[in-house]
Parts: sequence; structure tokens; C-alpha cells
Amino acid sequence: MNSNKKFTIMITGVITVVIFWIGWVSSNPKDEKAMATFVSVEKLLNDKINKRTKLGGLVKDGSIIISKTNYLDCSFVLKEGNTELTVKYDRTRPDLFKDGAEVIVTGQYLDGTFYADELQTKCASRYEGDLRDESNYKLTEIKT
Amino acid sequence: MNPVAGGVALNLAFGFSILSIITLLIFIRNGDMRLFLTGQRLSLGISFFVFLSTFILWYQLIISNFDIDYVARYTSLETPFIYKISALWAGQSGSLLFWLFILSIFATITVLQNQSKHHGLMPWVIISLAIIQLFFLVLTNFVTNPFMPTDADFVVKNGNGLNPLLQNITMAIHPPTLYLGYVGFSVPFAFAISALMNRDTSPLWIQSIRRWTLVAWLFLSSGIILGGWWAYQELGWGGYWAWDPVENASFMPWLTATAFLHSIIIQEKKDMLRLWNMALIILTFALCIFGTFLTRSGVMSSVHSFTASSLGPIFLTFVFLILIVSFTLMFLRRSDLRSEKRIESFTSRESGFLFNNLVFVVMCFAVFWGTLFPVISEAVRGTKITVGPPFFNQINVPIGLILLALTGVGPLLAWRNTSKQSLIKNFTVPILSGLVAAVIFMAIGFKGSVVISFSLSVFVLATISTEFMRGIKARTKTFNESIVKALITMISKNRSRYGGYIVHVGIVFMFVGFTGHAFDKEKEFSLKIGQTDHVAGYEFTLLKLSETERSNHYAWISDIRVTDNKGEFVTNLYPEKRIYFHKNPDVNRRQPHSELDIYSTLNQDIYSIFSAIDNDNGIAFLKIMVNPLVRWVWIGGYILVIGTMIALWPRKD
Amino acid sequence: MHFISDYILVFIFFVLPVIFVIQPLFLNKINNLKNKIDLPSLKRKKRLLYRQIKELEMEFDIGNINQKDFKISRKELKIEVSEVITKLNSNKI
Repeated sequence: MNSNKKFTIMITGVITVVIFWIGWVSSNPKDEKAMATFVSVEKLLNDKINKRTKLGGLVKDGSIIISKTNYLDCSFVLKEGNTELTVKYDRTRPDLFKDGAEVIVTGQYLDGTFYADELQTKCASRYEGDLRDESNYKLTEIKT
Repeated sequence: MNPVAGGVALNLAFGFSILSIITLLIFIRNGDMRLFLTGQRLSLGISFFVFLSTFILWYQLIISNFDIDYVARYTSLETPFIYKISALWAGQSGSLLFWLFILSIFATITVLQNQSKHHGLMPWVIISLAIIQLFFLVLTNFVTNPFMPTDADFVVKNGNGLNPLLQNITMAIHPPTLYLGYVGFSVPFAFAISALMNRDTSPLWIQSIRRWTLVAWLFLSSGIILGGWWAYQELGWGGYWAWDPVENASFMPWLTATAFLHSIIIQEKKDMLRLWNMALIILTFALCIFGTFLTRSGVMSSVHSFTASSLGPIFLTFVFLILIVSFTLMFLRRSDLRSEKRIESFTSRESGFLFNNLVFVVMCFAVFWGTLFPVISEAVRGTKITVGPPFFNQINVPIGLILLALTGVGPLLAWRNTSKQSLIKNFTVPILSGLVAAVIFMAIGFKGSVVISFSLSVFVLATISTEFMRGIKARTKTFNESIVKALITMISKNRSRYGGYIVHVGIVFMFVGFTGHAFDKEKEFSLKIGQTDHVAGYEFTLLKLSETERSNHYAWISDIRVTDNKGEFVTNLYPEKRIYFHKNPDVNRRQPHSELDIYSTLNQDIYSIFSAIDNDNGIAFLKIMVNPLVRWVWIGGYILVIGTMIALWPRKD
Repeated sequence: MHFISDYILVFIFFVLPVIFVIQPLFLNKINNLKNKIDLPSLKRKKRLLYRQIKELEMEFDIGNINQKDFKISRKELKIEVSEVITKLNSNKI
């Protein structure tokens, strides 16, 4: 076997191993937090999915309740379209979390409540290079 | 200066770019030098008008002309001067203009620098650059024009202003640094296309772009590191890398560019891997444009981009066009790209480089896969599955460790073939040091990939030092120099080689820092004044809660005393909870912000966040993280920059 | 007054670039450089080859290349350099 062939075999070998590796990790991630399914709130409620999921929506105005005993404990109502769902979250809240904020929560659904362990707010950053589309701003924002 | 002039200048640049492309194409057909000169000058003209319109926009931002939509959206009368300047890249249309601005600087330098060089290559280089300019000119002229007037039926007295939390100097320089990197790869790409067009695949064109590539790589690397540093200092989640799509977007071209920097060494020295190098630079450039697409399109839900934008499809089309045209061209020129020389042995420098390249590209693919996984799974299975950092870490840790190992093995291999003797001679000391380190680390109680990573780091450092030692020895023997003098002359005579090794040292430091992540500890708890809690062997006591009003915010400051498990005083931490716009009657427009405080040592960072305050009961809610070895990442970054600078430093000859 | 300054601006920012761009078209036909030997790139090539020889010697001193390969590669490089130098010299005369 000449060296050229040996190299071809070797290279194909490396690539195959890696592809298998990527495929394997994709189907059996070590950490359950590695993956989450993005679903609509409606689908989650209808199908009662109790796997790890990610939901997006708005925080319903006036729905944020912060526990009197532990300020980290909070619950709020997530609104997506007309569907609503109570979300419980007991970690540090992002600074931009407030009424009407657009949020993405990750966690698990159990008996009518969504227990989130991740809460992301829409990034207010208009900075980092190229963040938001201008069409996203309302002109009333400018008037102030 | 009238803002209308800015729009006109953009129109003119658009016209000039088309004329420049046509003129140069005619020149290539008939060879009339006058046309070449005109084409060249038209290209300078494009850049001139781009500069003009950029300066006009800057001027409008500075004088706060709110009749321009862009100015009204991203600045206000109160915005400090420096952030009026940086507002140029705060929004979409401005950042596209800024991209074009950088590209025009690079194009001008390329044209002026090569007036008497590369006559064969230059026409196609200029055409390629003009086409890229044309793409961005179409965007800024017709899709999202930065000079659009404000669409309001009232007089805009003051602009929207920039989020005060983002008025941070790192945030002002991180995007342009990244851009300089992204855009910088346009020039090597243009040379590559030109080389293909001219069937000139000699190592000479590689030589002419090595510097450009290195400059672009330096900017891209520093941009990535700066972004991580900013996230760590400001965002308050205790990390510097989240495998966010936009971060990945900058990491993917970095990986292929790094591969390219290595493999052009083989083409320069051995005239091998012509095809591969061509593919790598094309891929790098396409990934740079793809990166812009990812940030802009909203295909991914990311911290950076949440909204869909009309720009997505246009960018995607451009990326596809680049790939299709370039790879078709490569296919047509495949006979020119075939090199006669072959790699002869596994234990050769060439094969070391080849495998390093392979691993870089494979890692790039893994990141690409993870980034697009949600899109792929949605298309295939109909469910959108998002992947988080654990997924990326699991996939990339082993690949990264292989790369680290190759960093050590590569320099010890000889060109063509390494004899058994020299294999033994070169590898004994580094391998022994690595093994000894492994035993020691295991004795300390480290496990698994941590031991591997640390001992590989020792191994790589050992190989790099033996490399330096061998060089010094050779010099002291031949030239009879002192060791110090030998070291200095050796580095200055072989800048790219030893600069490269210094970059490797930086990378090793960064790996040490990444490995520290395995030991991160965090805890969230509440404290009343005088109470104490423990995290990772440290005691945290809340001494005092104070409040103060500052010029643009209201702040609660907690005073936390940190002591170690022997009760010895370590430091005081003062994380703050702030409310910006605290005087605004509309509660919803007030903006809370946690200003964190970090106690950083070489060993570990103690990272404190003041999450919330219960005023009635005097309770502070805190999040404390103990992150070992983070500082090594930043030190590694500095070393990387220094090493690259050494490699870039011009020679006198 | 305003009028005049506008005209000056148009002249500087539009007419001048256009003149600059079309000026070469009115030159007498210049010889096609393609047929000429490109002196600067020959010189660059010479420099490059010398650098490569130096690097090769260094690799040999360190022990990254064996004697046989070293001799062959150096010979190849030297032949290449001498070709370039011959071309350069013939062009000077």
C-alpha cells in the first residue's frame, strides 16, 4: 500500500469517527440540560409534554409575584398569543425581567405549572455589532 | 454638510463599483493598460465615496441631526461623544455601512500597495473586492439605507439614546475589532479567486496574503476574546462563553482561518495542499459572511438577535453564490491545483500539519452542526430542538484536547520523515514531563479530562521550551553567541516561527483557564446583616447595606467580607444593585442592573452578584460563584496577541 | 454665498474624482505590462528564495531535517535563485 492510500484511509477514518461522535452526542447527550425542545405554550398544554422544553412569550402585566420570604422565588404568567401559563422560577432574575418583557424560559411542565431553571430576557443591547433590526422600534419610543 | 450628500455618495459608490468591474473585465479581454488604470482608479473612487458617506453619517451623529432616522434611534442629546461615534455600528444599517467602510480601507490599501506588484493578479483582486463592495452597496443603497429621514409627523426633539448599560468602552471596541477580522479575510479571498482565475497557484500568491491573513486573524481573535471578557465582567452569569449562535458565528471562521494559517506553511515550504488551502480560505470568507447572516437573520434565537430581518435571505443568497462560484472555479482549475509532491510519512511535519488542519475543520463542522441543529431538527423532525452549552462542551472537549496534543507533537516532527532516533530524542523529555505531571495531578485528586488537559498543557509547554532550547543551542554553537543574544536574534530572524510558538503558549494558558471551568462552584442565598454563608470553602458575611444616589442611577451597595476556611481575611466585595432612570415616573422604564464585583487571583475568581434586595427586612439576595483559573484565559489572550505581533513585525530586508 | 460653496463642494467631491478616473483613458496607448517581465515580483521572488534557504539552514541546524533532504532541497532552491538572478540581470541590460 503506498503512502497516499494510507493517508486517504486515515483521513476518511478520522472524519468517520468524528461524524459518529457528533451523531452519538446529538442523540445521547450526557447532560439533560444539553437539549430542549422549543414548543408553543398551546402545544405544551395540549400534549402535556413533561420533557425539558423551551417556551417563548411575554410576561403578563401585573402577574409577577415575588415571594415574601425568599426574594429569589417568583412566579409569573407567560403569555403567548392567548394562551397563558404560570411559570415558577427560583434563581437570580435577569435585570430586564419585568412586566411585558419578552422572555424565553427553559424547564419542565408539571401539573399546570412550568418550573423554569433558565430565564432569558430579550437583550436590550443595541450594541454588540449588529443586534436589532431597526424596524423593531416603535416611533413612540423616539418621542420621549 | 447636508445629509443628502451621504445618500448621494452611496449612490455614486454603487455606480463606480459597477463601472470598475466592467472596465476591468474589458481590460482582461483586450489588455489595454489605460483601462486597467481607470479600473484601479474607479476602485479607489468607490472607497472614496464610501469614506465620504461614512464621515457624513458620523458628522450627523455628532451634531445630533434627528431628522435622520438612524441618528434618532441610536443617539440622544445626552449620549456622550464617544458613544455617538460608536453609534455608527450600533444599528443594522449603520453597521453595514461600517462594514463597507472597513472593506474600503482594506481595498484602498491593497490597491495602493500593489500598484507596482502582482500585475497579473491585481485585476481580478480588484474585481473580487469590488463585487463584495457592490453587495454591501446594494444593501445600504436599496435595502436598509442609513440616511433614511425620520418617518414622523412631529419634530423629533431628542433621540432614543443608547442604553446606558451598554455605554461601556469594551462594548464600543468589541464590534469593530470583530469586524476588522471578518472583513480582513476579504483580501486573502480576493487573492485566492484571482489566483484561480489566472491559473497562478504558485506559492508566491500565498506569500503575498500571509500577512493579511495574520492581521485579520489577530483582529478576529482579539474580537472574540474581548467579547468574552465583556460578557464576564458585565453580564453577570459568571461565564465568558455561552456557545451562543453569534459567538459560534465568530468562532467558526476563526477555526478555518487558523487551519489556513498552518497549512499555508506547507504550501510555502513544500508546495503541497494547494487545493486544500484554496478551499480553506474560501470557506473562511464564506463563514465570515455567514456569521453576519447569523447575527442578522433571526434564524436562531440568540441573546443577540431576536427579530427576523429582511436581510437574512439576501445574505444567505450571497453566501451560496460565493460558495458555488468559488468551488466551481476550483473544480475547473483542479488540474492546476494538483501538487506533484506527496506526503511521505506519518511521522513528518507535513502530516502533523495535515492532521491539525483536519481537526480544526472537523471542530468547525461540530460547531456548525450544533449551531444549526435547531434548524435541522425542525426541518427533519418538525420539532425545534435547541442545544445548550453542555452539548457543545461534550462534543468539543475531546476535539480540543486532540488539537492541544497536536500543538505539542507538530513542532517536534521533522520535515518529510522523522527518524526513529530523533523521535526518541525529541519526545523523551516532553512526554516524561507530561507523564510526571499526570501522576502528580492524579495524586492531587483530579480526574478524567481535567488530568488529560493539564498534563497535555505541561507536555506542550515542554515541547515549546525544547524547541526554543534547540534553536538557541544551534545558534550558540554556530555563531558563538551568548544565550540571551542567541534567543533575541533567533526570534527576530525567524519571527513567524517563534511568534507562532508564543501564540501556542497563549493557547495553552487559555486551555488551562478553560479546564478551570470544571471546578466552578456557585450558590444563591440570602443574608441579613451580620449573617454568614459558605461557598467552596469561603465564608461570606454581610457587613453592611448602604444606599446612594448617583448622577444617573440609584444604588444599593452590599459590603461582604470574605474569609477563607481558616478564618483568614481574603477580601471585601461590594456588588451593587442599581436602578437606572430611577426618576422616571413610569416604573416600567426604570431599569434595574446588577453591578457585580470580582476578586480575581491567578488561582481563582470570586464573583459576586447582588441579585435582589428586600428593603423592609434588610435582606440581600446574593449569588456567589467561585471560578478557578479564569484569569489564565485573559493572560493567554495577551500572550496570543504578543505572539501574533511578533510574527507580524516587518522585516528590514 | 451658499450657492457658491455648494458648487465648490460638488466640484471637489464629484467632478474631481471623475476627472481622476477618466484621465488615464486620454493617455497614449501604454504597452501592455503583461508581456513585460515583472521586475518587482522577480525581486520579491529572489528575496523569498533567499529567506527560504536561510530557514532551511536553520531547520537543519536544529535537526528538523536530515542531511540528505537538506542537501537536495538546498540545491533545488539555489538553482531556482540562480534562474531568477539570471532573469533579473538580463533585464537590467
